[in-house]
Amino acid sequence: MIHIENLVKRYGSFVALDHLNLQIQEGEIFGLLGPNGSGKTTAICCLLALLKYDKGQITIFGKEMQPDRYDIKKDIGVVMQNVAVFEQMSVWENIDYFCGLYVKDKAKRRELVEEAIRFTDLEEYRKARPKKLSGGLLRRLNIACGIAHKPRLIILDEPTVAVDPQSRNKILEGIQELNRQGSTIIYTSHYMEEVEQICSRIAIIDHGRVLATGTTEELKNMIKTGETITIEAVAADEHLLEKLQTLPHVFDISYEKQVLKIRLSSGRHNLVRILNFLTEQDISFGRVFSELPTLNDVFLEITGKKLRD
Amino acid sequence: MTVFKGFLTITKRNLGMMFLYIAVFLTISIFVSKTLGDSDPSGFTAKRLNIAVIDRDESLLSKGLKNHLRQFHHVKDVPDDAAVLQDKLFYRDIYYAVIIPENFEQNYTKNTEKLPVIKVPGSTSGHYVDQQINTFLNNIRTLTAGGFSASEALEYTEESLSFRPNVRLIDQTGHNGNMAKHAYMFQYIPYIILSILCYILSYIMLSFGNKDVKNRILCSCTSTRSMNLQLILGHIVIGLGIFLICVSMPAILYPKDFLTDPNLPYYLINSFLMMLVALSIAFLISSFPLREETINGIVNVVSLGMSFICGVFVSMDILGKGVKTLARFLPVYWYEIVNNLLARNHSLSASQTNELWQCYGIQLLFALSFLAVAMVIRRKRPS
Repeated sequence: MIHIENLVKRYGSFVALDHLNLQIQEGEIFGLLGPNGSGKTTAICCLLALLKYDKGQITIFGKEMQPDRYDIKKDIGVVMQNVAVFEQMSVWENIDYFCGLYVKDKAKRRELVEEAIRFTDLEEYRKARPKKLSGGLLRRLNIACGIAHKPRLIILDEPTVAVDPQSRNKILEGIQELNRQGSTIIYTSHYMEEVEQICSRIAIIDHGRVLATGTTEELKNMIKTGETITIEAVAADEHLLEKLQTLPHVFDISYEKQVLKIRLSSGRHNLVRILNFLTEQDISFGRVFSELPTLNDVFLEITGKKLRD
Repeated sequence: MTVFKGFLTITKRNLGMMFLYIAVFLTISIFVSKTLGDSDPSGFTAKRLNIAVIDRDESLLSKGLKNHLRQFHHVKDVPDDAAVLQDKLFYRDIYYAVIIPENFEQNYTKNTEKLPVIKVPGSTSGHYVDQQINTFLNNIRTLTAGGFSASEALEYTEESLSFRPNVRLIDQTGHNGNMAKHAYMFQYIPYIILSILCYILSYIMLSFGNKDVKNRILCSCTSTRSMNLQLILGHIVIGLGIFLICVSMPAILYPKDFLTDPNLPYYLINSFLMMLVALSIAFLISSFPLREETINGIVNVVSLGMSFICGVFVSMDILGKGVKTLARFLPVYWYEIVNNLLARNHSLSASQTNELWQCYGIQLLFALSFLAVAMVIRRKRPS
């Protein structure tokens, strides 16, 4: 559905997109994951022909994207990072206005607007002006304005920034519902949990480059970490840490403030083996827990830094 | 027509502000037209001053001059004492004193020497007396040089100066030589139209200029061309509304004079073109990424600046040559040229009509130029 090939975008000497390549299939919820300043929004702006790029090619629905390709634009819905609505118009008028940019038939538009209002649960606020709405409601209005015309492709650029957890869940459920109704979704965020929760495929992007692409499982399989065991209230010395390092599958150990963190590659009975070893060494310990790798681990291992740096 | 309808919806939400501006500017305009229109420049009434004539010659001619001045002024008896004269002038008992020296007849009729006078410094009336004395003496000099005796010269001079020509002013304006009151209103209209349209439209366009809203519109399948055309249509609707309000004011305030003025269609065309100019300027201003706080400043500079330079607030006749040269590069100047032409001529000659249409054309070109620049800026401006 979308092909981005060798996309390069420079701002003076700063390279925002460095030969970015992406393939997005119809029906996917495709997550674009990266820290602030990684090039996510720039990539989206280039995709929507809002920004000129220096090199590369973008095709959407098999056609090359250009600023005047209104035949492509009519099937795209956009929900940008910042709330983009008219302060002087009511909720209903705003949705009707932005839907009207795509749908000329009045009766059909009225139906679509009503549907968008129901979908975003804004029935009570249809006559309210944006300044009377809370942050979460504003975000929902922003989404309603972007999706009312029922586009084939919906691009959501960090739609949950500064939203309370309740509204965030509502928004995420809505996105999944839109996908079920047949829309392909591109979702950018720096919230890993959200991306992990809703995206069928993810691209990790940093410094304007795609570092890895795949499903959550595929990405997790790409890294060495299979399990992280954390043991609290341990009195460990250098000698003990050296011995632990020699155990099977253990490849990284850190010890700080009496908390021992052991990272292991995938293997059976890793936890039992570690606990048996500590018992044999007559080492007492407090709480123990084991975690499977998260996208954060994936990001940490691939980029060498935390996602929210 | 979604963009157009959206434009009207936002306009509707700003109606309160719109009517406030309209009320303020129209009130000022009516006040100015009333104030300017009430002055009567057609009549001149000569003032009779209190003057003193110190006659040290006591000749036929000196007495003749004294009698001549007595026709126009109150000649007071004042002693021939410099200190007394100074006091009288200081306390404004007299405004002018002329001293006729001894041998006046011999000395002053043969050459062009001026009589010694004392007058209130800076007095304009004093110049009037100067002129009367000079006229009298010049007549005497001419006649005596032509061989007439002093008594004959005095007799003929009195005879010629007593002649009162019958002056009849040609009523070119159709209002007893005065400018019609509605002409004063039309003189002021560029300021009203420019201020109101630039303020209102800039505020409305702030919403469309919001970067995020603009990006969302750019992402849609409504073309930039269609969007601009719809916005221009919105501007025209507002412009027509303001135009109708402005031209209906003279019709309401001075219905008889205005509606019977043969230049009425020309006034309407002129102010319609001014409305187009103001619209294009407003469209140009709103093409820049403005903030609410900056609109006031920019609109003031544009509307007040043009109005001062181009003869809206003061008559173009008293503007300096340099100012007028600069004003030629501004559309309001050409509007005021037409307005002056219409205000001062009840019926227009062929050459005046030709000049009128040239000024109309120039205004239209200004409007198109501003619009073209605005369109280029909108196209080039990054999202």
